[in-house]
Amino acid sequence: MSMIIIGLSLGMLLFLLASGLTLIFGMLGVINFAHGALYMLGAYVAFDISRRTGSFTLGLVVATLVTAATGFAMERLALRPLYARPHFYQLILTFGFILVITEAVKFTWGLGYKETPMPDALAGTIVLFGSTIPVYRLFVIIFGAVVSIALFLALERSTFGMKVRAASSDAEMVQILGLRAASIRNAVFGLGAGLAGLAGAIAAPLFPIELGMATTVIIDCFIVVILGGLGNIRGVVAAAILIGMVRAVGYTFAPSWVDVLTFSLLIATLMTRPQGLFSRPVRSA
Amino acid sequence: MTKGILAAKHATSAVIAALFSIANAHAADPDTFYIGGVVSLSGTYGMFGDDMRKGVEIAIEQRGSKVLGKPIKVSWEDDETKPQPAVQKTTRLIADGAQMIFGAVSSSSTLAIMNIAKQRKVPHLVTISADDKITVPGASRYTFRTSNTLGMEQRMALNYTKDQKLKRVYGVIADYQATRDSWEWYRKEAEKAGVQIVGADFPPLGNRDFSTIVDKVAKSDADSVVLFQTGSDAVTLVKQAGQVNLAKTKKIFGPVIADETMAAAVGPASIGVNSGVRYHYTIDNPANKKFVDAYRKKYNEFPSMAAGEAYDGMAWWLDVVEKTGTWDKEKWVDAMASSVRENSVEGRKEMRACDHQALQDGLWGEVVPGRDPNPALMMKIVKVYPPNQIFEPCHN
Repeated sequence: MSMIIIGLSLGMLLFLLASGLTLIFGMLGVINFAHGALYMLGAYVAFDISRRTGSFTLGLVVATLVTAATGFAMERLALRPLYARPHFYQLILTFGFILVITEAVKFTWGLGYKETPMPDALAGTIVLFGSTIPVYRLFVIIFGAVVSIALFLALERSTFGMKVRAASSDAEMVQILGLRAASIRNAVFGLGAGLAGLAGAIAAPLFPIELGMATTVIIDCFIVVILGGLGNIRGVVAAAILIGMVRAVGYTFAPSWVDVLTFSLLIATLMTRPQGLFSRPVRSA
Repeated sequence: MTKGILAAKHATSAVIAALFSIANAHAADPDTFYIGGVVSLSGTYGMFGDDMRKGVEIAIEQRGSKVLGKPIKVSWEDDETKPQPAVQKTTRLIADGAQMIFGAVSSSSTLAIMNIAKQRKVPHLVTISADDKITVPGASRYTFRTSNTLGMEQRMALNYTKDQKLKRVYGVIADYQATRDSWEWYRKEAEKAGVQIVGADFPPLGNRDFSTIVDKVAKSDADSVVLFQTGSDAVTLVKQAGQVNLAKTKKIFGPVIADETMAAAVGPASIGVNSGVRYHYTIDNPANKKFVDAYRKKYNEFPSMAAGEAYDGMAWWLDVVEKTGTWDKEKWVDAMASSVRENSVEGRKEMRACDHQALQDGLWGEVVPGRDPNPALMMKIVKVYPPNQIFEPCHN
């Protein structure tokens, strides 16, 4: 039972992080290498605000807003002028953002590890089927589920989502219809960046906060996005839970084989279903 | 051959020889003493590099920033806790004229640097990497380690196991050659002493989540868990062990899993964790007091294990170089190989000529709550092992 809870919590944390990446990747076609750096920035901001105010919730909110604002600025000032150019310009730019964000974090908070204590209300443990489970892990699962439903409704059932999908498939037509495709793209990038920051803030009490966070998670994040299918929120939820479970089962029975298992799954998917495990292949005439 | 041609040949040889000697004299007497520092400023061991830099800076400042009458210059490079960048950056530093290399943090990086230093005949000082292979007899004439070996730390961990009368131990070992070797030694010796190894896991270095392993340990009938890990791996595991109150039912210890930096990153869950300690600011001797005062004055904090070891090694090395009175690197190496540091910040240290490993006391500590001006969580040294209990004899 604990293995399932741990797997779900790992999966939901991955979902929170990967959902922002798949939004940006799937809707805008931008491969944002700096997504991990935004996750790290979110963790540091949450740590700082929680420490100063004693409020974990405030840390969560401020971290999301700061990273969303950073995302807005990145898209408006640096990425937008590059959309007409080949993709590798965007890759190099977002890679540059990793260095800039990392240096800014290093300058502000230094190199040492930071610790965010568990919020008091979520600090305890409960015993389920003979296993001691931290309440915070259950919170992560529930929180991730709520965010996934909210995102699904926002993208699939709202006017905003309709505009985003329209701008994603034909920005020119959206522009002719009187909608501002540039603003929609900006909003999507900001939302994706904000989700990265939110994931960092949620992860802060679980892990030591350090500069390496930026690079350690980004590979898992891309794996989830590829398995889930670009821009497919439901796919990302399923892929994140799948990876979370693979890791939980792997750590239980063969910890040194976990990475091999994860990457084998990725290779098998790329070879057999390159559109993702949870997306339908795109048909063309 | 005519006498004239012979004379011209001799004259040419003399001129060439004179030019070489001028060039050598110039090379032997540079404008600065240039140190190439290769440390981890990012990656799993990223927490150590900056503290090492701070310790070295104090060692340099305390001697007026000069050695052999020339100013000391240091260039710092980040190896990202990986051997490949360590090799690239060391090669560049040596090409730029570094007269010695300091570092790295991870043993795999240090072993890679050792090879380059050996090929290029550049002295190499190690103050944190603990892999025993770094200082085996014949490893390298140019590499010296002034800090602990994993061997002495695993012996202290074994002694702790026996002292605490632990009977069932669970091992968590970073999937890394040095830690696997160390675990194998510990496992065999512990079993000889009647200790049952109830489980062992080998998560990869830089693992991101240990909650499943923590759960396995919690469900086992082990009375303790020994961690052959360090850096962010140890911090993450102990932090996640705290989330299920593992320390209430099992003792958590390891050869080198805790100091003030790690305890601060883990929080109160680290209280009661036992670990080997390489250096500690509370060591009571005049040299350490002088260093701690200078460090606190400059950085407004107590020196960490990494800072103290870096300071001690560099101060020792620079004193040895000064005493030689020469810029000949071979003479520095010869002098260091037979040096004794009576007034080290960690007490007496003696460089062993056979393997270039400094013999020294071993410190064992426990994380306890600290009182002002100490950090909120600090290491308390609970046992000191003399060198003859924790070092094996050196066989050439």
